Amino acid sequence: MSDLSITAPAYGAALPRRTLSANRQWLSWLVPVLLVLAWEALARFGKIPRYILPAPTKVVTTGISLVEDGTLIPDIGISLLRAAAGFAIGGSIGFALGVAVGFSRTAGLLLDRTILMLRAIPFLAVLPLVIVWLGIGEGAKIFLVAFGVAFPIYMNTVLGIRQVDPKLVELGRVTGLSTWTLIRRIILPGALPSILNGVRYALATAWLALVVAETIAASSGIGFLAMDAREFLRTDVIVLVIVIYAAIGVAADSVAKLLERRLLAWHPNYAKDTRR
Amino acid sequence: MTAAVTVRGLRRSYGERTVIRSLDLQIERGEFVVLLGESGCGKTTLLRALAGLDPIDGGRIDGPARPAVVFQEHRLLPWDPLWRNVALGLPEKDSRGLAETALAEVGLGDRLDDWPRNLSGGQAQRVALARALVQQPQLLLLDEPFAALDALTRIKMQSLVKALVRKHQPGVLLVTHDVDEAITLGDRALVMRDGAIARAYAISPAASGHRSHPEAIELRDRLLADLGVGADA
Repeated sequence: MSDLSITAPAYGAALPRRTLSANRQWLSWLVPVLLVLAWEALARFGKIPRYILPAPTKVVTTGISLVEDGTLIPDIGISLLRAAAGFAIGGSIGFALGVAVGFSRTAGLLLDRTILMLRAIPFLAVLPLVIVWLGIGEGAKIFLVAFGVAFPIYMNTVLGIRQVDPKLVELGRVTGLSTWTLIRRIILPGALPSILNGVRYALATAWLALVVAETIAASSGIGFLAMDAREFLRTDVIVLVIVIYAAIGVAADSVAKLLERRLLAWHPNYAKDTRR
Repeated sequence: MTAAVTVRGLRRSYGERTVIRSLDLQIERGEFVVLLGESGCGKTTLLRALAGLDPIDGGRIDGPARPAVVFQEHRLLPWDPLWRNVALGLPEKDSRGLAETALAEVGLGDRLDDWPRNLSGGQAQRVALARALVQQPQLLLLDEPFAALDALTRIKMQSLVKALVRKHQPGVLLVTHDVDEAITLGDRALVMRDGAIARAYAISPAASGHRSHPEAIELRDRLLADLGVGADA
């Protein structure tokens, strides 16, 4: 694991947008659609045994029946709740530490090395230890998510704060801003592009942590659903769970993108139009 | 007249190097003082000391705790719309109204909610000027605010500054390299050399009024000579 995607977009010139004419846009969908059709055909005509890979239509009907008998939705809810709780805890810790280290040289000297040493641990490697400590209850999963989320948020918060233009900070001092106002009006907004970059990265990490935690040790959630299905060779359920994981991952990333577009409307790289 | 700022025996050094030695200066309210000097003579150091950005090593400055400053770069906050930029540091109450008035004065009253990135260099510098004047400063410090502008924009900006200073009557200290700019804008021109004020000239309205006025030509020659680029050099 590496959470080195910490390149904050510079607010210089906007990158030139590639303009793809709308009538050729459908081409990008051609290959995935063909693949799904081929998969469907091969599964239908028995070229792929059902216990290896079920047909896409079978996965869909399985999904519908699982929703109908009331097991799927609660399991998705539990998984989302775990991810959200872990993200909130790990994100707050990472952000708080990042703010402290970003602002204070003393805090940096005291904390930065320790945090970087912990960051060197691939967060999935602590899983056995976490199970020993916290069993296979909710605590273990939330801990793992939080552990994975804290570092990218920390790194990007520190970086963002350190990258704030010192000339703007000087302007704040000349204008006589209080320290709190200086932080609120100049330093945090200046660090925001980098922080949001960290949030996006952390969302992906959180999701990965959750998949692993639920797959190895759980008695509810969609990861458990998949492991339970494995016992009965229900590949349709397993594929369904994989698709749901992917869909939620994409959704989380879109939310993060939307957040960037809303909060960074001033930023030439995120601006949709030139005027507000 | 009341003094906008009074400097007595100011001294400032960086390590071994003394940048300002025993400098005296008084600027009255409503007076426009232009400070000229070669690069490295201590002009910017003096301005930063007056702005309270750098500590001083000796002497005293009696002036407002918080003069307004316009820098060479506009230093607008890219994440705030124009009115928020102008209102920076104002109490929240009615800050938008004050910002609107200040932006209208610099001819940008219809761009309150626009982003800084949509401005040209001259427009951005006008917003920076509005941000300085909205504070109703007793002392206005201008650190080469026109240096990065193209020639035409610079001329427009100069007359705008002149008009607004006349209206608001702060004491002004303008740091510049441009002798013509000094004569056009200033009531008084100071030439700084080796950390002290070497020469001071009063600038008559006649000289400010027209570039080709005999007084303006004579003053220009003298200032250029003081700066080591005499007309016959």
